[in-house]
Amino acid sequence: MENIELINVWKEQNVKIEKALAINKRLLKESIDRKAESALKGLAQLTTAGIIAFVFYLLLLGYILFYAISNYSSASNYFIVSMSAIALINIKGFADYIKHLAWTKNLNYDGSVMEIQKRLSKLQLSIMNHSKIMILQFPFWTSFYLSDQWFPQNVGLPYIIFQIILTGSFIYFTIWLYKKHKPENLSKKWFRNLIAGSGGKSVEKALKFYREMEEFEKEN
Amino acid sequence: MILNHINRMMNKDRTADFLDVIESNKGILYKVANSYCQNFEDRKDLIQEIVLQLWKSFDNYNEKFKYSTWMYRISLNVAISFYRKENSRKRISNSLTMAIFDLTDTAIYEEKETNLGILNQLISRLNDLDKALMLLYLEEKNYKEISEIIGITETNVATKIGRIKSKLKIEFDQLKNQ
Repeated sequence: MENIELINVWKEQNVKIEKALAINKRLLKESIDRKAESALKGLAQLTTAGIIAFVFYLLLLGYILFYAISNYSSASNYFIVSMSAIALINIKGFADYIKHLAWTKNLNYDGSVMEIQKRLSKLQLSIMNHSKIMILQFPFWTSFYLSDQWFPQNVGLPYIIFQIILTGSFIYFTIWLYKKHKPENLSKKWFRNLIAGSGGKSVEKALKFYREMEEFEKEN
Repeated sequence: MILNHINRMMNKDRTADFLDVIESNKGILYKVANSYCQNFEDRKDLIQEIVLQLWKSFDNYNEKFKYSTWMYRISLNVAISFYRKENSRKRISNSLTMAIFDLTDTAIYEEKETNLGILNQLISRLNDLDKALMLLYLEEKNYKEISEIIGITETNVATKIGRIKSKLKIEFDQLKNQ
């Protein structure tokens, strides 16, 4: 079959489309007049709920910290340090979340296919990095309740050992998990399940597609 | 008040311009949707999503490019992202009414035994990027325009199209003679 024939076969479609496809301009205009805002309403509501929940959580952390600092005593040292770390990590997580959201909302598809698709894939990969940052807070949840007033001087050796093992294992687990956050592990089911909340499946798809694009760009 | 009136008039013109562009290039939307979605409902959803993105980008339309180039860029970008997100995406059918495009004569795509049916079937089997290339080639876009839409060099476009064409031709003949 010659090249021209493929094109001719394709052209049969143009004639049929012209005949078959009618645009209802009035309906299209109506929806444009509404600026298609409602199309994004569902998504916006969902993400707004996420933002509100996050803001409340950060406000609560901020208030607790503020209270602890303004009524400072050396007894709250562990608490202040732990809560500050947790708050900072969550602020960073929140900033990333907003950044991703704004980026997705303002994405203009009017760029070359390679450019836009690469940006989309990169965005999804950066969502994976977001969960990487969030896990850094784990060890601090094992130290916030300690107090200079009774720890370690007023507790027995078994409790000290328990506390060291608890915090130590959380640190170990966090470092291990942090290191595991890399695209190569996306093929492992447990890892995909872990980052499912951050869009694990789409991250995997994005990475696969990103590699396809790199291959596609090669001149061979 | 006068400013509001001018604004309204400008918006009316803008909407009318947009509708004209869509009307004169409606085939692009349909062909892209048909190549990327096998399912009738998905096709309708995709067309709606493309129209929405076209409308959002209409203000930033760069006159350096033809309307068809602009439409292909957006349509293909939306189609590829839509296709990849298919599992998780939420339907937006309630927003844009389903009846904007009259798709009643869908039979033209269901005739698997015709030449066009076979060609459509073969195109649907290509990966996302090859599909985009082939679509543009069949629409008789020149290599320069294809390279602007896809974002790879003209040489690369030529090599890849050559390869896909040969593959399609062999498969076409095989299916035809079955």
